[in-house]
Amino acid sequence: MRPRSPDREDFIVRDGIKIAFSVYENDRPTILLMPTWSIIHSRHWKAQVPYLARHFRVVTFDGRGNGRSDRPGYSGYYTDHEFVADALGVLDATETREAVLAGVSLGAHWALLLAGLFPTRAAGVVCIGPTTALANLPHPNRTGVSFEEPLAQNDGWAMYNSYFWRQRYPDFAEFFFSQVFSETHSTRQREDAVGWAMETDPETLITIERADRFDAEVATAARQGIRCPILVIHGTDDHITPHQAGVTLAQAVGGELLSIEGSGHLPQARDPVRVNLAIKEFIDRMVVPA
Amino acid sequence: MRARTPDYAGFIGRNGVRTAYEVHGEGEPTILLVPPSPITHSRCWKGQVHHLARHFRVVTMDGRGNGLSDRPRGDGAYLPTEIADDVIAVLEAVSATKAVLVAHCHANYWTFMAAAARPDLISGVVAIAPGIPGLGDPNPNWIEVARHWDEDPDSPEGWLMCNPAYWRKGGYENWIRFWFDTLGVEPHSTKPVEDMVGWALETDPESMIQGDEEEAPGASTEKSEELCRSLRCRVLVLHGSEDRCQMPSRGRRVSELTNGRFVLMKGVGHLAPGREPVLVNRHITSFVNSLRGTPMQTRTWTRGSSRPRKALYVSSPIGLGHARRDVAIASELSQLNPDLQIEWLAQSPVTEVLEANNQTIHPASQWLASESEHWASEATGHELNAFQALRRMDEILVANFMIFQEVVEDGAYDLVIADEAWDIDHFWHENPELKRGSHVWMTDFVGFLPMPDGGEREAYLTTDYNAEMIEHIARFPRIRDRSIFVGNPDDVIPASFGPGLPDIRQWTTEHFAFSGYVTGFTPPQEDDIAGIREELGYGDDERVCLVTVGGSGVGKALLEKVIQAFPYAVKEVPDLRMVVVAGPRIAPDSLPVPEGVEVVGYVDGLHRHLSVCDLAVVQGGLTTTMELVASRRPFVYFPLKNHFEQSQHVRYRLERHRAGHRMEFEGSDPEDIASAMIAELTQEIDYLPVETDGAERAARLISDLI
Repeated sequence: MRPRSPDREDFIVRDGIKIAFSVYENDRPTILLMPTWSIIHSRHWKAQVPYLARHFRVVTFDGRGNGRSDRPGYSGYYTDHEFVADALGVLDATETREAVLAGVSLGAHWALLLAGLFPTRAAGVVCIGPTTALANLPHPNRTGVSFEEPLAQNDGWAMYNSYFWRQRYPDFAEFFFSQVFSETHSTRQREDAVGWAMETDPETLITIERADRFDAEVATAARQGIRCPILVIHGTDDHITPHQAGVTLAQAVGGELLSIEGSGHLPQARDPVRVNLAIKEFIDRMVVPA
Repeated sequence: MRARTPDYAGFIGRNGVRTAYEVHGEGEPTILLVPPSPITHSRCWKGQVHHLARHFRVVTMDGRGNGLSDRPRGDGAYLPTEIADDVIAVLEAVSATKAVLVAHCHANYWTFMAAAARPDLISGVVAIAPGIPGLGDPNPNWIEVARHWDEDPDSPEGWLMCNPAYWRKGGYENWIRFWFDTLGVEPHSTKPVEDMVGWALETDPESMIQGDEEEAPGASTEKSEELCRSLRCRVLVLHGSEDRCQMPSRGRRVSELTNGRFVLMKGVGHLAPGREPVLVNRHITSFVNSLRGTPMQTRTWTRGSSRPRKALYVSSPIGLGHARRDVAIASELSQLNPDLQIEWLAQSPVTEVLEANNQTIHPASQWLASESEHWASEATGHELNAFQALRRMDEILVANFMIFQEVVEDGAYDLVIADEAWDIDHFWHENPELKRGSHVWMTDFVGFLPMPDGGEREAYLTTDYNAEMIEHIARFPRIRDRSIFVGNPDDVIPASFGPGLPDIRQWTTEHFAFSGYVTGFTPPQEDDIAGIREELGYGDDERVCLVTVGGSGVGKALLEKVIQAFPYAVKEVPDLRMVVVAGPRIAPDSLPVPEGVEVVGYVDGLHRHLSVCDLAVVQGGLTTTMELVASRRPFVYFPLKNHFEQSQHVRYRLERHRAGHRMEFEGSDPEDIASAMIAELTQEIDYLPVETDGAERAARLISDLI
């Protein structure tokens, strides 16, 4: 059972594509929990929603390609631009003039784009394990692996390959989330994530992989446009996006940095209490209490 | 001693009236602490200044009529508008550009007026028990006072002692004592009440009368509501539920009208800044931080499973005695737990011992207010009232607790070891939600005992302090995870905590584990003594008498007197050699020396000298005397006068060990001392043996918790 059910579940439709969102009502400020790479969906915030919803109005949505949102079959529908536009659409549909944005990994990238390009809509941004063009530092493990070419060997990160996904997508998901959750005793978190990964399919993920992403000019414009406070949370044992990326991002945007010693790529799932408290404290310091 | 002295001080003058201010620390914003004058002055913030000045620039002021400020007599000199203008003038005098005002009771009326007048300058107001007239429920006692104000009562009682005619007839002090007793509703409030009474007696009835009559002329509910609504800054209201001066409903109403935050402190009376300093400090700090916006900051939080095991060791700097035993215990602890990281929160003279032993000193140690200087300042001649000195250290204890608390909130310690760190034990019991990690409390005595000179009042106070400690532990057994008595059950004095309270030994046996005594060194074997003496330059053809008062500056009078005894003693004992150790705080050349006496300053490894001497003359402190007992040396000791620990606890333990010849400083002339020295020299030693495994036993008791 879920500890907290949404007060409202609905869709927006953009270009005929349905994007599912949920609202947890509260008369306090709104926090929009962004989607991340569509290998998982909005349930990756499951450890945050019940707590945050007691203190703030919480809005979540499933990124296109997973969850209850549509899975269009064309890469042009999965660009950074589209995900940011979905977020704006959800803000409009929920009559949210301004929100604190929180994003994990790629979700942090879209949150930063939204905050920089539409500064009146963002009161603050929480970036967790950010994977973003504003501080793009790919993990050395992942360089030099071709996504599009068939590979003779598919050990380790060589599984990040379109041919391998089509053949053995579940194995890739198992491997990927073993890297994401590098902490010991993470079986439950890995199972959750692999389960959500099975709700989409390799073709959709390959389509997403081929979409335009990380445009440098857009990233620069966003960085210069940011007016709101930023909190970066980054594990020191992140095998997906190195901890240094979070350090660099915090410096680049003048944000605060909370390093989590010993944590991996998704601390909101593996260290939910610390992350929940950090988000609440960040918003409390920012928002004038009623 | 104060926990912190101002960086600079000055006066502002308005219409010929001078108002004193002090400035502590630096940084924005400026926090101005405004006392409700003339009944008190800036010292009423003594529990706040040191803590706040570590984070912000703090300014205090004495309002008109008390402290260092003038006591004007002209009509209208105490009107709220005047003092509000003083507040603004002080802010301007210190070039404040952004200020938060903190006020207590009726001083809030002035800070609200100032904040309404200068929204550009004042960005926040902390209103403690705000006395904004006409709001909330009226206090029926004040209504009665007003009704009888112009009368001339013969012998008024209670609240009706608040009367000008009575004060002019000499009744002012009676009123003040009654009133602060009434306000100090919390049990065990003797010190804050005494403080408030003392400051109230620094003004005079005429200032008080004029202050009262001009406190709020023409005030009305409507005007007060308008004032509150006109504030453009953020407001935090703190109000005790048991406030007997300002009704809590008044604070709540103020918060509603100012759109402010209301914190009801349940069980707390009117004297919150003095009685609940930790709570008040933390509220002020978090309020001001919330106004400052988000500074760029970098923090690290370590996952539980990635953390090294860490202990914070806090060693009392009162006397030098604890440092060596704590290093010995820490060393045993490290042997038992090789992966345990031990950090020390400590100050001089403990830090010198720690540095010599390569221990890790937490950098926040540099902020600690000096406890040893306070103790030196409390001593005169050969007298030191240890109980009163500890009470008067309240301001330093709050200041140092606030530092400790920040360290443990930041440091993820598994364990805190507090060797007579009174501040930690007291304030964790007073604020139990602040506890972090396991807590080991260590002490070598239990129970405050009154000295005869202190009379009934001191007996009442020691009982009160003991009762508070006993209640603390009964109510919150989870605060001390382990209590260790450095000694054996038989070392505990068989005395009472006070009327109606348990027997000290029985209670201690029930609540403590016993480590045995910890000397921190191994006494030399009989066969080694000759070699050590040779190394230290003591011949086998002479009898060496060491005279020492330890590392403190207390004891010069004793050294002088013992030096005067030498000529008498050497007549009977021609091979007597007297070596006087002045210690680091007494200049050796300030002591007059007869022929045959040597005076040296600091002696490295003094305990080794003591362990091979033929005779020692010392104060009554536990560490030095027990070193002599462990080394089986004869000694004469002089407990400091009115020092309950030396005069009672230590004396009892030494007598149990059949060790030492106790003398009173007063009434002992040099010839008496010489006779005692000679007698001791020929005394057969049949001391009870002192165990040598105390440090290891203490470490094992601590290890259970990690």
